[in-house]
Amino acid sequence: MYFSVLLYPCILGMLSLVHAIPVHPDSLKNLVKLQADTIILRIKDHNEKLKLSPKLLIGDPELYPEVPANKPIQGLGSIVETLSTFHKVLQRLPKGHVSQIRNDLFTLLGYLKDRMTSMRCTLKEPANERSLDAFLENNATHHITFGFLALDRLKQFMQKLIVNLDHLKSC
Amino acid sequence: NILYDGLLMLLSNTVVSSLSLAALSPSDGRGGIYEDLKWKALLCCELPFAQTLDDGLSEHPPVGQCQLLNATKPESSSKSPTLSGNCLDILCWLEGEQTNLICNAKSHRAAAAASLFAVRPQLVVQMNVLSDEANHAAQCAGEDTAMCSISLHGNDATVSLNISISLNGSTALSPKMQVSTHHLRRPEPPVNLHYNVTTEGEVIFRWSDAQPNSDAINFEIRYASNSSLQQWEVVKVKGRSWVSLNELSSGIRYMVQVRCQSHINYWSEWSQPFYFTLGVSYIPAEIFTTPGSEVTIYAVFHNRSWSASKAVWMLNGQVKIPESQYRVINEQVSAVTVTVDEPGFDTLMCCHQWGERFKCIIAYAKIYTEGMFNADFTCQSKNSEVDTMSCEWNKSAWAQVRLLYRQYTSMCETISEMEGSEEAEENMECPSGAGDHRECTLRNLSLFSCYKIWLEVEGGRGKVRSFPVYVAPIDYVKPSPPSVLEATTLPNKILSVSWSRPRLPVYDMQYELRFVALREMANTQWKVIGPLLEPQAEIQLKESCIQFKVEVRCRRLNGSGYWSDWSMSYTSVVYNSKAPEMGPDFWRVIEEHPVRSVTNVTLIIKQPVLAGDPYSCVEGLVIEHRASGRAVWSNETTLAQFHSFQWRKEAHTVTVMSRNALGISTQNRNMTLSHQPKRRCVRSFSAVANSSCVYLSWSLLSDHPVPQSFVIEWLDLKKDPEQDVSLTERLQWVRVQSASRDLSLCRRFYGSEEFTLYPVFVDGEGEPVRYTATRGDPAAYILLLIIAFLSVVLFVTLLMSQNQMRKLMWKDVPNPNKCSWAKGMDFRQINTIENLFPHSEGLTACPLLLVSESICEVEIIEKTHPVTLEHEQDNEVPIYKSGNKTATDSALLADSSEPLSLEASTAAATPETSGQSSVTYSTVLRSDQPSLLRKQQESLSSSSDEGNFSANNSEISGSFPGGLWDLENHVCSDSANPRHSSSYNSVEEFSETSDQDYEASESTGVAKDLYYLEVNEEEEEEDEEEIEETQSEQENNEIVMKVDARPLLEGKKSTAVDSSVSHSIPLYLPQFRTECINPP
Repeated sequence: MYFSVLLYPCILGMLSLVHAIPVHPDSLKNLVKLQADTIILRIKDHNEKLKLSPKLLIGDPELYPEVPANKPIQGLGSIVETLSTFHKVLQRLPKGHVSQIRNDLFTLLGYLKDRMTSMRCTLKEPANERSLDAFLENNATHHITFGFLALDRLKQFMQKLIVNLDHLKSC
Repeated sequence: NILYDGLLMLLSNTVVSSLSLAALSPSDGRGGIYEDLKWKALLCCELPFAQTLDDGLSEHPPVGQCQLLNATKPESSSKSPTLSGNCLDILCWLEGEQTNLICNAKSHRAAAAASLFAVRPQLVVQMNVLSDEANHAAQCAGEDTAMCSISLHGNDATVSLNISISLNGSTALSPKMQVSTHHLRRPEPPVNLHYNVTTEGEVIFRWSDAQPNSDAINFEIRYASNSSLQQWEVVKVKGRSWVSLNELSSGIRYMVQVRCQSHINYWSEWSQPFYFTLGVSYIPAEIFTTPGSEVTIYAVFHNRSWSASKAVWMLNGQVKIPESQYRVINEQVSAVTVTVDEPGFDTLMCCHQWGERFKCIIAYAKIYTEGMFNADFTCQSKNSEVDTMSCEWNKSAWAQVRLLYRQYTSMCETISEMEGSEEAEENMECPSGAGDHRECTLRNLSLFSCYKIWLEVEGGRGKVRSFPVYVAPIDYVKPSPPSVLEATTLPNKILSVSWSRPRLPVYDMQYELRFVALREMANTQWKVIGPLLEPQAEIQLKESCIQFKVEVRCRRLNGSGYWSDWSMSYTSVVYNSKAPEMGPDFWRVIEEHPVRSVTNVTLIIKQPVLAGDPYSCVEGLVIEHRASGRAVWSNETTLAQFHSFQWRKEAHTVTVMSRNALGISTQNRNMTLSHQPKRRCVRSFSAVANSSCVYLSWSLLSDHPVPQSFVIEWLDLKKDPEQDVSLTERLQWVRVQSASRDLSLCRRFYGSEEFTLYPVFVDGEGEPVRYTATRGDPAAYILLLIIAFLSVVLFVTLLMSQNQMRKLMWKDVPNPNKCSWAKGMDFRQINTIENLFPHSEGLTACPLLLVSESICEVEIIEKTHPVTLEHEQDNEVPIYKSGNKTATDSALLADSSEPLSLEASTAAATPETSGQSSVTYSTVLRSDQPSLLRKQQESLSSSSDEGNFSANNSEISGSFPGGLWDLENHVCSDSANPRHSSSYNSVEEFSETSDQDYEASESTGVAKDLYYLEVNEEEEEEDEEEIEETQSEQENNEIVMKVDARPLLEGKKSTAVDSSVSHSIPLYLPQFRTECINPP
């Protein structure tokens, strides 16, 4: 009788422990860094292949606020929110060269969402979704410049993420 | 008046109410009013009360009358004396999703239900949907109140309403009432809200009515920035469905909504929000054109800080369009006109110049040019379990394309005839769909079918297509590489290779084979052999016993196709019939680690002779270690050149054996390492080196055992120790048999190398002996000898020059410009000089004068006749030569065959000494041998130069190369005529020589008169004293001639010389001084 009373909390505790550590934080950091580096490299390749004139400055940072630019990293929640927005943006780009980047980003999002779940973080709903939809609606037809801008901002965010990997430990 | 006013009011009320009814109620909605999305009516009926009670046996119940009153003024109508108490309020509205119409009739008596004696009227409400298709009806009954509902089936309809009211046996029927459900709804908000921009930059919003027969005439449009949605700007619009909004800012995300008002004043809901951001608008945003036609695109800058005059148009984001094609429409609108020649898809972006760069936004204009473009397809098919074909193409990165294909059942060659027939299958699309792809893989193909493939560019009003290509996948197969490779290096120097072809495709194959020796893999230089028609090959080699890495590839034999990839590498097996007999020779390098106190031993192994016995090739080594204490272990390695191990400073024997698949060598060399004191057995060791060889020799002590062998080692100086070449790799060694006592190493050696001789005994090494062989480089020795010789020559020359210069006496020559005969002459002009002293071709230029020197020279030539003044004056012609770049001696005496030379030279200053006065001196000689005298003239001239430099610039003195030349001439003169030998270079010497000459002349009996040119230069006071001394000496010893220069110079012009003058003066020639000025 007493034995079973003690046993149940133990089992429950072990179960919760198993649930809580699916990925070691360091290995997650490594995975995120590898994936982010891969995305950066692919974006560079993609944008170089467009052979746009180096004199072009497409979209000031203050323009098109729907596509995150210089978004601060304040923990897993903000990272996942920003990456979700980027993923939604990339989904509007035509199939082809961006497809692989989109898949990479989706994988990265999967890692981070799993991590949030295991840390019991609350997943935020993306803000200004209607505004983003409208922006995508209006601009996705100009897929080259639109993709160039979005991927350039994604690249900047990835670079920022790589140097802020410690934020993966907090919600 | 009051009555009149009351009637008028009643009338006006009636008119107004009827008008309002007419206005608010459509014709089919008679009897009520529409208000707040409800239909309202007031029905009052007159029912005969008593009769009904009294005449209960009556067969026909009495019939009342009903009247619809103005529902908006129920209080006034209820005041009607006849109808009071029998009035009904009727209310209809739509329910739920507006699919049911509900009508409610309620008696006024119900409101006054407090009356206990009241008799409740019976109400029956009947509703009918008036429709052509079907009659839906509903009927409901109730006391005082009746509510009825009818389904509308989602459509607007007109519903007729009939109400009967029964009370006390009498019944009254309502007049016909109709309710239009359309007026019970709000109007639908407008749809399709969007904006256009005009070429003047005006932003116009437009929308459409949600329903085609909408009667909306009033609209409201509101907008706000995304960040301030509470501050709406509302614009009212009447009678049109568009409005121009010009107060919008660029770069701000706005939300816009519109709503409409129906004619019964119902406002619709606000439309779906429309979000937009103004940046740059293109007019048109897309254009479809034909090749060669001009296209004009306008761009509107909504950003007020951007100016159309700074617009930059980019074609496809890559090329800037020339500004000559731009046009500024107004401050915010720029236009460009382009001509696209090729079919396809292009884009135009209008950006704003910002320094060196261009600020752009996302939007761009799209140009579709009709016709077919060249997609440059490249296809490659694969024949395997599932046949596939991958095609790549080139296209603009800006275009989204679809790859379409069509399969034909006939050969591609006949497709053109079939084109247009309907035998072909339907068009199919690449599985990856539309996108910015550049390749597509088609699966489940038939290799032997023909496929038509083309691209279509998405977008635009029309489609732009590429030229189609017709592809038979069998012609583009890239087969799988061959497999199951076998390669053997045979003893007869043949590499035998065989492989298996891929099973598919089944056509005949050709092959290529490439191979490289395994030991040369570092710098892989594949040798390729092919085409081969059989899946095997035999390659003749230069050597046996070598392992090779082999790869093979294949392609179709007849017809087109691609080479497969190279197969997996296979390393050839070396065929052996027996194990190797001998192990390799080896030596060692011992390195003690200073920190870890560990001794590393590296074995340097001579590569076994691979081509020695082709039947027992060495494939690797076995290194056996035998330490003290009987511990034995061995390592198996490949054919390595080095092998390292740690030595624990105990007796350690190493044996290196050769091995192959059949066994290890039996005759092997051992090496014993020990730390015991080493035996000394070498008495002497020496080396002699010459240019190409080093001869080493040694001798042994007599009372010691003879070593097993000797090893001589040295360092290869060609390998730079700074370039990470270890000591092991730099060490060279050679083993010498025990009987040998000398060795000749013929190879390139350097100046100094150290050789070490190790006697090797069975039980270890003896004490080594070192000798450093030195050998000079012969070329360096020769160079050194030459330098030494030249130094001696230079030293002697300088010494002699110094001696001679010390004896020189410099005399100034008077300035001819100051002479009376030279008045008016410009001696700086060459013409003047040449006129005075024309050239004699018999005299040559002085070779030793510097190029930049100006020379003034006087030469007097005298025949060997007894000296008479007439003769002299006839013959003596002073020559002046002046020049900047060339210096020439010249003499002119047309009728003189035996010259007496008198030479006056003036060397002008070199640029460094420009402007300094120069010295001229002359010597008058008589000679019997004109040729010899000529030589002396030259030497005299040169020595004069030297003297001049010495006088004017002491630093130059002595360094003039004329010294060496003088020496040569001196020798020459000495040998030829010693009497004249010393008659140059210095007056001092000259005077001495004159003495000798005088004596000699006396002794030989030949009169030799010596003439001096007197220095008349008054300015050169220093020289004057010296000259005077000289003169005084000369006057004592010699006949001194004093000749005025003028008649001498005049004699050039006319050879007739005044003999009286000549006779009256002694034979003494004045010396000249000229100022020869270098031209600037």
